[in-house]
This record gives sequence, structure tokens and C-alpha cells, in this order.
Amino acid sequence: MASLTQSPSQHNSTLTISPLVSNRRQDFFATPQNPTLFNTPGSNNNLTFLTTSTFDPHPLANAAAPLSQAEKLRLWRHDAWMQHHYKTAEYVGDKVLALTGDPNDAFWLAQVHYASGNYVRARQLLLGKQFDASVSCRYLGALCLTQLGQWDEALDVLGEVNPFSDAFPVKNQDGGIKLEASMCYLRGRIFARQNAFERAKECYKEAVMVDIKCFEAFAELVENHLMAPQEEWEFLAALTFDDDDELVRLLYTTRLNKYMHLGQYEDAAQRLRDEYSLGDNCDVMLSRADLLFVQCKFQACLEVCEAVLRRDRFNFSVLPNYLSCLHELGGKNKLFLMAHKLAENHPTSHVTWLAVGVYYLSIGKIPEARRYFSKSSLINPNFAQAWIGFAHTFAAEGEHEQAISTYATAARLFPGTHLPNLFLGMQYLQMNNLVLAEEYLATSYSICSTDPLLLNEMGVIHYHKSDLKKAEFYFNQALAAAKYLNADSKAWFSIHANLGHVYRRLGQFDKSLHFFHQVLRVGGTDANIHSAIGLVHLKMGAVFQAIDTLHDALAIAPNDPVASDLLKRALEENMNGENEALRRTSSLKPRKQRHSMQTPLVHKSRSRMEHGNSLLSDDVNLLANDLHKGEDSSDDDDAIMDIESD
Amino acid sequence: MSSHSDLRRALRQALPLLSDAKLYQSAKWAAELLNAVPDPEPFATEPLSRLPPEDDCIILARTFFDCKEFDRCVHALKPCLSAEATFLRLYAMYLSGEAKKERSSETVLSAQDAGGTPNLQMSAIVRELEAFHKTNKTESAHTALLHYLHGVVLLKQKNAGAQEHLEKSVCMFPYNWSAWQELGATLATPDAAQACVARLQSRPEFAGVPGAMLQFFEVVLAQELLPHSPHLQAQLDELTALYPSFAFLKVQRALGSYHALDYAAAEELFDEILATDPLRLDDMDTYLNVLYVMEKRAKLSHLARFAASVDEFRPETCCVVANYHSLKGEHEKAIMYYRRALALNRRCLAAWTLMGHEFVELKNSHAAIEAYRRALDANVKDFRAWYGLGQAYEVLDMHLYALYYYQRAASLRPRDRRMWQAIAHCYEKLHKYAEAIQTYEKALGIDEDPLFQYKLATLYELVGDEERASEYMHMCLDGEANARLWLARYELKRGGYVAAYEYANEFGIANRGLAQDVEEARGIAREAKKRIV
Repeated sequence: MASLTQSPSQHNSTLTISPLVSNRRQDFFATPQNPTLFNTPGSNNNLTFLTTSTFDPHPLANAAAPLSQAEKLRLWRHDAWMQHHYKTAEYVGDKVLALTGDPNDAFWLAQVHYASGNYVRARQLLLGKQFDASVSCRYLGALCLTQLGQWDEALDVLGEVNPFSDAFPVKNQDGGIKLEASMCYLRGRIFARQNAFERAKECYKEAVMVDIKCFEAFAELVENHLMAPQEEWEFLAALTFDDDDELVRLLYTTRLNKYMHLGQYEDAAQRLRDEYSLGDNCDVMLSRADLLFVQCKFQACLEVCEAVLRRDRFNFSVLPNYLSCLHELGGKNKLFLMAHKLAENHPTSHVTWLAVGVYYLSIGKIPEARRYFSKSSLINPNFAQAWIGFAHTFAAEGEHEQAISTYATAARLFPGTHLPNLFLGMQYLQMNNLVLAEEYLATSYSICSTDPLLLNEMGVIHYHKSDLKKAEFYFNQALAAAKYLNADSKAWFSIHANLGHVYRRLGQFDKSLHFFHQVLRVGGTDANIHSAIGLVHLKMGAVFQAIDTLHDALAIAPNDPVASDLLKRALEENMNGENEALRRTSSLKPRKQRHSMQTPLVHKSRSRMEHGNSLLSDDVNLLANDLHKGEDSSDDDDAIMDIESD
Repeated sequence: MSSHSDLRRALRQALPLLSDAKLYQSAKWAAELLNAVPDPEPFATEPLSRLPPEDDCIILARTFFDCKEFDRCVHALKPCLSAEATFLRLYAMYLSGEAKKERSSETVLSAQDAGGTPNLQMSAIVRELEAFHKTNKTESAHTALLHYLHGVVLLKQKNAGAQEHLEKSVCMFPYNWSAWQELGATLATPDAAQACVARLQSRPEFAGVPGAMLQFFEVVLAQELLPHSPHLQAQLDELTALYPSFAFLKVQRALGSYHALDYAAAEELFDEILATDPLRLDDMDTYLNVLYVMEKRAKLSHLARFAASVDEFRPETCCVVANYHSLKGEHEKAIMYYRRALALNRRCLAAWTLMGHEFVELKNSHAAIEAYRRALDANVKDFRAWYGLGQAYEVLDMHLYALYYYQRAASLRPRDRRMWQAIAHCYEKLHKYAEAIQTYEKALGIDEDPLFQYKLATLYELVGDEERASEYMHMCLDGEANARLWLARYELKRGGYVAAYEYANEFGIANRGLAQDVEEARGIAREAKKRIV
């Protein structure tokens, strides 16, 4: 190992040792560099330094000097591999290796084995002592081991820490990805596999630090929310981009979380649109979709996702957002179609089974949904959406304990997203454990302080603690955050209803009614809201209105115990209190009606009012019982109104 | 290229003709072609993405609407922004939502037909209307129609804002009678109606010609809420002088008479209407109600057959036939026809109430309650449904509930003594004697029925005020036989033996009470006589 730290071949990519470029002798001779730095021991034939990394489709045309036998065979092998003639490539590669014994030739032969799925053969080939010193051979060997599921052995080959970390950082010159970065990334994957997420994260970060072109590691960091939001932004700021890497920096900027530094994001997106005309590139649109999703603008997000999918039917990065939006907006039919298309075309992808799970969740088939979420997370254990969906299925069935343990796993796996903590808080809230609920919501709040759903839940906590002023504060915050929300979204609905409840308890009845009416105006029918309005009217002393509204509530939910109990009290109030009917009608011209009332009972009235008396002896039956149900549910007005906790 | 514009011109001319001839499918085909003719404008850079002109869009959408393809109409109008297009689009959206709602709900009053199936388009419509009113402040007939639609939707949601929008609509464009009708539906009490009319009268819009519309509106309100007011007659006379052949006025007069319980006059008026317009089925159900109450079996039967021969599947016809069966005591059949009427039109107001009555006849209180409730959903002003609810709950011994419904009925018909009688009875059952006394006294103010006086007397006795009780007993001596017995007992107790003897004697002579009462009266007479001596 010690000798390796001196060797700088980890700064190269496989481009350097590619037979195509290694034949360009003029390039090499045109730009001589410090030869000792780029000397790669163990290889007789590597001509390391190049100013250009572009593959030339016709390398032979450039070749000035006549090619040696080995060089000819290498070109043959390479082209056969590129054209997926694996038998040829294997046949020729074997001959080159026998001729030269060069580790690079071993590497390329192993590549051919790898590409044709023969991981064991590739591994066996690279096992030889003579190839130990080659960085590329070690990398590929470790990769084969991971494919074979021998994670510990792979880690042995790679080393637990980066052996090159002390070396002087040199920018990769051949334009490819530094092998050192690839090894760091692979190390990260192994740690992630071993559930050592903190170490995995460090490895990924190191990979990107070593070479910003190691997008694999960057994507792993960002997509799996391994870093806290602030950490992500700091990490990006710490990366060194050259001037000509500006495009990469902008692209990476748009990939980061959308919880903070929105100005920077907008700026980057703007420049990508204007300077690089990448405005309608799928990934730039995807970042827009992410932003819209975080802001709960589901309709707009859905439109962006659909635009992406029109161009790229199975864009896997955009699908999770698309599925969530459809679920949120009730697009069951589209979910069905998408799930089927995915299952037909990509039966082994984790996103496919996420789609199937979301579909079943949407149509309320919870056990099926759970099965497919679990399948998705088995295929890709680091898939946040599948975990959360899996937990949702428990929550939907009221299995709080299991839901909590699953959400907690998700929270551990994905520290960079606020959702698992939010859901944990919601579960504890449902279990009436306010202390724990508040703790988790606070954690969630520290990650994201702008999610209307979260702010709503914070309000609910304070409502339950009877800290109405604070509850009002959070609900108003949520309202401000939800300013652009579609008015028919559930979040909008809950926030308005909750504000109504808060003002009801604060005794600000007019404000309370205002919010409840807002909900009814766009939210359609909800028995609880009608009951709440009824209660407010009752408190305001408008008994008739209260009774009317409570009837509306019971018309929607005939067995609602709260509404029937309130109705009973309103009716009692009506009986005991000042008689509204008497009062109201007494304001009419009082006694003049003598004349007009001369013949009212002469004819049989169509309304058959007489029947009531003859039937009075009938038994009290079911309906009466129904209406009396729930008598015991309330001594305290405030306890009975269930606040909306989404 | 010119052939394109020629074709377009020809189609634009042909389309109104086809629509007016009610050849809807042909019109649709032509409109689709019109919208498919390529745009000749040379400066159109992207010919495929250019939209056809808005007018053509609206024409196409109209043909879809005529063919009852509402969703397609909505889609076709997506790019159009004018008030006319917006109204057509939102109205189609509303109708589509209603149609889907009707289809998804089960048969009338079945277990699934909870009445809770919402029109899913409502909130989207409200949002769009709000956005439109925010940006568009111009006053035009189409804006008025948008206000009308806004009012309709809000009214369905029982939102108080409905009235405001409907008033705006009728002010901007008074000739939309549906808007007036919906405005009427928002006014639940006579007070509210009077306030609304007064408010509209003060507006400058109704100073000239449109004032007639307001007058028609006033007549309808008065007929529904204040059928006894002399003002109604005067106004009807005035309007009839101006428009003598307008059947609407005659119907209003007939309905007024019906509501004022003057059935003979109502019958006469309906006969006149039928003579002038023999195939008119509108309001026939009311006419049949009149005949039902007057128990004119033959005429009712004849008219039921006649209505069925004109159109069997009109809600009015179904109500008429149901009425006929009800009169024959075939309540199940009657209910079946009411169901049919409601399947044809769920907003058929009368059918709900009448079906409730039939359920009462069948002693099915739950179904009756449900039917009455639906009646009130359709029309809060229906005092019979309120009263029916009260009765149904009374049957179930739920006097607390019954009380409230009777109160509502009484607030709609404050001069109907039956309402007050029912309220008082509930108070009595709930042991609220003071309130019961108050209410009976009110009923007494309307009609000096000896029954009320007797009730009052017994109530005063219950609260321990024997003096007042005896006063009321005196008042109802002629009407209530038992008053004598009570007075006899009362006088005996306080030493007025002569009076006691007389009362008891008279009671015995009248001899209308139960055997044991007669026996008791004899006892009192003997006792009193003994004391006198």
C-alpha cells in the first residue's frame, strides 16, 4: 500500500489506459509533463498524459507510426467490446494479455467479462499478484465482489479508508473520472450496504471532493437525503469548481434541496436557461418539479412532471414526484396506467413497485399497497419514498407502533428530509403523546420551516396544549406558506378548518365563522365543519341557526355522535331559552289577522296535520335511540370538536 | 386558399340555421369542420399551434352543449376567456357535475341515497368565478349570468353569499327569470322577503321597464309567504290588467288562493288556465292537490288520466297519478309514483313533502322524516314539511325535536292556529307549562276555540293558579262538557255549593261524559245539595 500512495495513477481515469488514446503518440510527445508524476508502475505500455479526452472515432487515422502486433490486437479487442461482440473481445483480449502480461490488458479483459456478467471470471482474472499494484484492476476487482454480494471482501480490496487521501490533490487531466473518486464512491456503497450511513456519507462526500465529476456519489448524497439541508449547501460551497466547470456547478446547484437558499437555486436555473439554453432539459425541469412539490403546489408540479414524461416516458427521477402528485390529487386512473406501463417495461425497478404501491394506496387497498412498497424497498433499500409509503400503510390502518418504527427507520436513513420526522410527530399526536410529538415536529421544523403541513401540525400541538395564541401563530404561518396552494388541497382545507377552531376557542366567533365558511365554500361537504359551525352559532346564541347547521351535519353523517349531541343541547336551549319563534313573529303586525283567519279549518287541509295525534301512542324506536347516542361524549365543549389533523 | 375562407364563411352562415332548426348533430358536424378549416392568415408562424378564433370555438362548444356532451363543451372552451365563453363553460361544468351526481346516487331514498353525494365540480366552479369577478368588472348580460351561476352554486352549498350574487345578477340583467326564482329561494321568511323587495325597489335599475320584472317577483314572494295580504290581490289585479293573457299571473293567483286555503277559487282559476292552454302540465300537481283536498274524486281521476296521456314521464304527471292513488288509499302505489317523479327530477319540491305524508299514513316515521328533510333541502319555505317533521318526531315521542320543527312551521305561518296548538302541546309534554300557557294564549288570540280555553284552564290548574283556571273553564262552558264537571268540583271544594250543584246537575243533564264522570257529577250534586240544606 505504501508504494501505492506514491503512485499517482489514481488521478487518472480509464481513458488514460484506453488503447485508443494510448496510440496517440504525438499528443503525448507534444505536451511533455513531469514524467515522474505520471509514471505508472506495473504497466509497460501506459502513456499517461493527454490533453484531450475525446474519443476519436477513427484512431487509426491519427496513428503516424505503424502499430505493433499487441496494439493491433488491442484495437480489435476494444472495438469488439464496444460493439458488444463479447466472444471476440474475450478471445482477442485473452491473446493480448498472454502476449504482454500487462495489467491494463488484464483490466480490459476483465471489463469484457464484467460486461457479459461473468463477475467471478473477472474477479479471478484480477486476483493475480501481478495486478495488485494497478489501481484500475483493484477498482474493477472490488466492483466484481460487490456484484457477487461479497461486500466485506470488496472492502478489504478497497481499504476502509482512502489510501490516497494524503497525496497531493491533482486535477485529473484526461477528462475522465478519477479512479480514486470511483473507489471512494464504491467504498461508500459498501458502507451504505452495511448500514454504516455516516461513513457512507463521508465516502460519498470524499468522492465528490476528489472529483466533482463523480456524479454517482453526488446523486447518492442528494437523492437519499444523506445530508441535512444546510450541510448540503455548505458541501456544495466547499467544492472546488474551475472556471470551465461553471455548468457543472449550476447543474449541481439545481439538484440540492429546495428548503433554503431559493435565491441561489432560482439564479442557477435562470442561468441554465439563458446561458446554456437548458431550460427544457429534463433534469432542470425535474428540479423545478422538486421545488413545486416542496411548496405543495401539486397541480403545477404534476404539469411539469407530465411535460418531462411526454419526452421521456420512463424518466425514473421524475416518477416519484409524479406518483406523489397523482396520489395527492386523486389521479387514480393515471396511476393505474402508469403502474401498468412500468410493470410491463421495467419489472425489476424499484420505482415500478412504488407506482403499484401508490396505486393501491390511492384506492384504499392497504394490504396490497404494503406488499408492493415492501417489494420496492427490498429492491432498493435506500429508496425513501418506498419506506415512507410502507409506513403510511401502517398509519392508514391505525397500527401506530409499526408505523412509528418504520417512520423512525426512514428518519434514520434519510436525515436530509423533514417528512419522516413530520409523520412521526403526527403518529405521536394521534396517540396523544404530545411531548414526543412536539420533539419530532421540532426536529422536522429544524430541517424545513416552510412546509404548510408541518406548520399545521405544530399548530395542532399547541392547540391540544391549549396554547391558543401559539396555535394561532403557527396556523397563520401555515396559511402564509400555503398561499399558493390549490384551494382544494387537503392541507389548505385543514389549515382553514383549524384556524376556525382556534378562533372558536378564543371566542372570536366572527373570525371563526369566516374560516369555516371558507372551508365549506370550496371544501364541499364535511359533517365536522357543519357541527363546528353549529357550535359557534350555539355559543353566539343563534339557536335556530345552530339547529339548522347541525341538521346539515347530520344529513351528511347521520350517526355522527358529536353532531347529534350538540343538536340535542341546541334543542334544549331552544326549549329553555327565549322563544325565538314567539319573538320573531310577535314583531309582525299582531292582531289584524282576525279577519283573514275566519275559515282556516273549514276545509280539510292538505297537510294532514291531524294524523300526528292519532299516532302518538307509537313506541319510541330506533331513530330515537340513534339520535340519543353519544350523550356522554361531552361535558366540555372544547374537548368534543375534533381538530383536523391531516 | 380562398376556398378555405369561402368554406368558413358558408359554414358560419349555415350553423345558426342548423342550430335554430334544432338539428343538433348536423350542427355539431359543421362546427367541427369549421374549426378544422386551416387558418389562412399568412403571418401565422406555427400553423399547427394556432388556435381557431374564439367565436368559432364558442360555436363548436354550443353544438356540443346541445348534444349534451358537457365535458367536451368544457374542454372546447378552455382557451376562451370572454364572459360569454366563461359562462357557457362553467355552466356546462355545473351540469356535468350534476349529471354525474345523479348517476352516482342510487334510487330515491334507498340506503345509498344519503343525499351526501356532492357535485364534484362545485369548488372548481366557485374558484373560477371568484377569479373572473376579480379581474373582470364590466357589467354585461353575460357577467350577470355568471353572477347567476355563482348564486346557484353557493345556494346549493347553503352559503349566505348566494343572495348577494343573485341580486347583482337581476340588477344587471333583469330578464333572467331563473335568477329571480333562485333569489326567491334564498328568502326564507316574510321579513327577509320584504327587506329584499324594498332594497331592490330603491335601486335605479328598476325605475323603468325592468320594474315589471320586480313586480312579478313581488307577486311570487307574496303568494308564497303572505298569501293573505290584500296587497297581493291589488298587485295581481294591476298586472292582469296590463298583461291579461299571461298564464303566469293566473297561476300565481291560483297558488295564492291555494295557500290562503281558498280552494274553490283556486279550482276555478286552474280550470280557466287549462281552457286556454289545454296541454300545459306545469303546476298541474298543485291543481290536483286542490282537488284532493276538496275530495273531488271524479275530476281528479279524469285529470290524472289526461296528464298521463300527454306525457307519462313528467314529474308533474307522476305527482298527479300518485295523488290519485293516495286518494284511493293505495299509499304504496302513491309512494311508487312519487319515487318516479323524483327519479325524473330530484328537485321536484312537492313530491318530497307528499311522499312524507304517504309514509306517515303507512306509519313509517323514519322514511317520512327523511322525505320531509329532503323537501326542506329543496325548499326551506315549505311549512307543511316542517309541520310534518314535527308530527313524525312527536310520533316517536321526541317532543324536544318536534318543538323546534313546529316553531319553524309557525314562523312561516304565524296566523295558523294549528302551529301554535302543536307547539303548546310539545311544551306541555316537556313540562314547560309556563311556555305552554303562553303559546295557547297566542293561539287563542287567533281563534277563540273552546279547546284552547279548556287546555289553558287545565294548565293553570297544573301550575296551581286555580282562579285563572276557573276563569278559562267558565269561558269554554259551551264547548267543553268536562268544564262543567271541573267547575262543579272546584265550587264544591271552595264552598260554592249552589254553583257546584248547578254545574253538576247540568253535566248530568247533558250526559255526554263517560259513565264514571256522570257518576261523579251525581255524587257532587248530592253532596252539594246536602251542604246547601
